[in-house]
Amino acid sequence: MMHSPLISETLFQLGPLPIGKAVAVTWGLLALLAGGSWLLTRRLRLRPTRWQSLLELLVAVLDGQIRDTMQVSPAPYRALIGSLFLFILAANWAELIPGIEPPTASLETDAALALIVFVASIACGVASRGPAGYLRTFAEPSWVMIPLNIVEQLTRTFSLSVRLFGNIMSGVFVLGIALSLAGLLVPIPFMALDLLTGAIQAYIFSVLAMVFIGAAVKETAGTHPASKE
Amino acid sequence: MTLDWWSLGLQAVNVLILVWLLSRFLFRPVAQIVAERQSEAGRLLDEAAEAKAAAERVRAEAEAARAQLASRQDTALRAAEQEVAGVKARLLREAEEEVRQLHERAEQAQVARQQAALALVEERATRLALEIAARLLERLPDSVRLSAFIDGLLAGLDELPAAARQALGAESAALTLRVPRTPSAGELEACRQALARALGREPELKVAVDPGLIAGLELEGSNAVVRNSFRADLARLHRELSHESA
Repeated sequence: MMHSPLISETLFQLGPLPIGKAVAVTWGLLALLAGGSWLLTRRLRLRPTRWQSLLELLVAVLDGQIRDTMQVSPAPYRALIGSLFLFILAANWAELIPGIEPPTASLETDAALALIVFVASIACGVASRGPAGYLRTFAEPSWVMIPLNIVEQLTRTFSLSVRLFGNIMSGVFVLGIALSLAGLLVPIPFMALDLLTGAIQAYIFSVLAMVFIGAAVKETAGTHPASKE
Repeated sequence: MTLDWWSLGLQAVNVLILVWLLSRFLFRPVAQIVAERQSEAGRLLDEAAEAKAAAERVRAEAEAARAQLASRQDTALRAAEQEVAGVKARLLREAEEEVRQLHERAEQAQVARQQAALALVEERATRLALEIAARLLERLPDSVRLSAFIDGLLAGLDELPAAARQALGAESAALTLRVPRTPSAGELEACRQALARALGREPELKVAVDPGLIAGLELEGSNAVVRNSFRADLARLHRELSHESA
């Protein structure tokens, strides 16, 4: 990846839609994750196999994180948070496959992820507090804070996308430079570092998404029926 | 820096589709199977609790049945012991009764043997006395064995009731005079005269020799008998001894 990361490279044109590398890789990851999930969950049993136990452990850890971070029942948010984490992790680690550029190294992908978190926080806030109640949160602790709260909503969404983009893109660049300069063995430590960075960034993005959505629904979390679990 | 809005929209749609797909094929099935397992575990725990409770009930019933059985066993044992004691007492009583009867029978048998032995001794003594008397009489004259007893015979007649003596004297049939040996004519005449004095008339006599008399005379009529002989005396003595020993 020696071209500018700020420019989206188009692979082919699908009608009016320009299909870039990130979109194509995303489709591949989408098929891989969905197909793998279907394969792994098509024969679930009460007596779990090793793979089923791994999946159940993943869901249990995810539910625990949601419950600890958002202080609500994890069921309504499990799919969104879990899918964001798995997709970002898979996208970040896709860098290890030769010739594959991670979709999260594309600003459009990170912006789309942040946009989804932004919309989800608003939707969950409105669903939890009602439209008026959600809008009143911008005037807390006083109406003077309304502009700052609006700016906070926008900037944290922007920072969410830029953080992920910067970390992954920089890793891709470092790895590309190392590959171009030192051959095969030298980039291995950088690749291991990218694995760690990719996992951490996926975790950070997911936790921040939980924090943002949880902040939107937090005021009524104590009265949420499922929060008594 | 340019932002490809088409790509941004496509990625957003892609991620939303991924969210739906993973929710459909990963999170929902796994959460559902976990919930089912929890439900099944709860059901199994409930069933285990019910089974435990049932087992406790069965154990309590078994304990009660065992206690009841032990009580019945004790009762049966006591009843058996009482029955055995009763049977033992009855057998002891029967054994004691049997021993007592045996003892009585043995005593009776002993008494009978003693009486038999005594009778045998008496019989032997009687025979011995007769034999002694006979041998002693052999040393006396034969006239003594007969004539010496005439006065005794008359005394016997005197002891008879008057009516019996008169009836004896009035008999038309001959009176039997038993003697130990054949009397001489003189002895027979002496007897006839003595009887005539006692009876008031001279009787007709039929002499019968009976050595068993040893010594003496016996007069027999149809209704009365007067004995004055050693045999009669020994017989009387024997009866008297027998009465004394009884």
